[in-house]
Amino acid sequence: MSVARKALEMTQAAADVIVQRAGARYEAHRQEIFRSADRMFGGLMIGQWIFAIVIALTFSPYAWQGKIKTVHMHVWIALFLGAAITSLPVALAWFRPGEPLTRHAIAVGQMLWSALLIHLTGGRIETHFHVFGSLALLAFYRDWPVLLTGTVVVATEHLLRGILWPESVYGIPNPEWWRFLEHAFWVVFCISFLILSCRRSQTDMRVMAERGAELEALSENQWRNSSAVDRAAADGRGDR
Amino acid sequence: MTVETSHERQDGKGYDRVVVPAPEGGTRSLSRKQFENLPLRERVSYLIEGTAQFFLDGKPILPSEAMRT
Repeated sequence: MSVARKALEMTQAAADVIVQRAGARYEAHRQEIFRSADRMFGGLMIGQWIFAIVIALTFSPYAWQGKIKTVHMHVWIALFLGAAITSLPVALAWFRPGEPLTRHAIAVGQMLWSALLIHLTGGRIETHFHVFGSLALLAFYRDWPVLLTGTVVVATEHLLRGILWPESVYGIPNPEWWRFLEHAFWVVFCISFLILSCRRSQTDMRVMAERGAELEALSENQWRNSSAVDRAAADGRGDR
Repeated sequence: MTVETSHERQDGKGYDRVVVPAPEGGTRSLSRKQFENLPLRERVSYLIEGTAQFFLDGKPILPSEAMRT
């Protein structure tokens, strides 16, 4: 085998290893972000559950049927529906962190939490801000399909509840039929920019990984050059 | 050929042009954007072989200087 061919093969082999390492670094970085966001949402879900119970106990602890006082349905809803919404995302965040299923389940859960909090506060418009806050938090994943999952859930939930129980979502009994579209429009407005941000962030992460690969390649080149100098010096000493 | 180092340059701009071997022989001159759009494996190969020559404002610079920014 000629020296030139051997050198070419060595370069190709080294380039393959460096490119593979860059890909692995990029994936490891993404995994770190996914897992960190999963942990954050795991804690947030439990925090929201406690918050919902406190809201229900504070604003509507009892119901009256004549002279009979009972615990208000909202308390049970906060307790049991809250537990149902929280359990799967928290379990997935705990047992399967970093997986696509986990972050999409969390997106669904987080939007259902918005819906439940809106219901528990009687459709207060201010509680709708929870939806936008949640979308911003979901952008922590830097994975834009998660935002689409959240958007589909919140739009569907607003549509169905707007038809079946409008007071629960808008605080009034007879909103316009298209009210959910107005809410959906602002959600789409918000996620359009969040999606752009997620995509840009992913590009930056890839560029960082590639920059690392280029530096590794430079280092490999310098190592080869210094090895060649050492060999030449050794050969020179051998000749004397 | 004399090359500039970052001690001589104050702007920290990196490079704006790269000359690399052309597939059909000879060389080709690429802008920074064109070089960065090459497949990573190709860029890495040029850097390992030391066949990429970097330039800033028409002056040659060391690859290690070019990669700083």
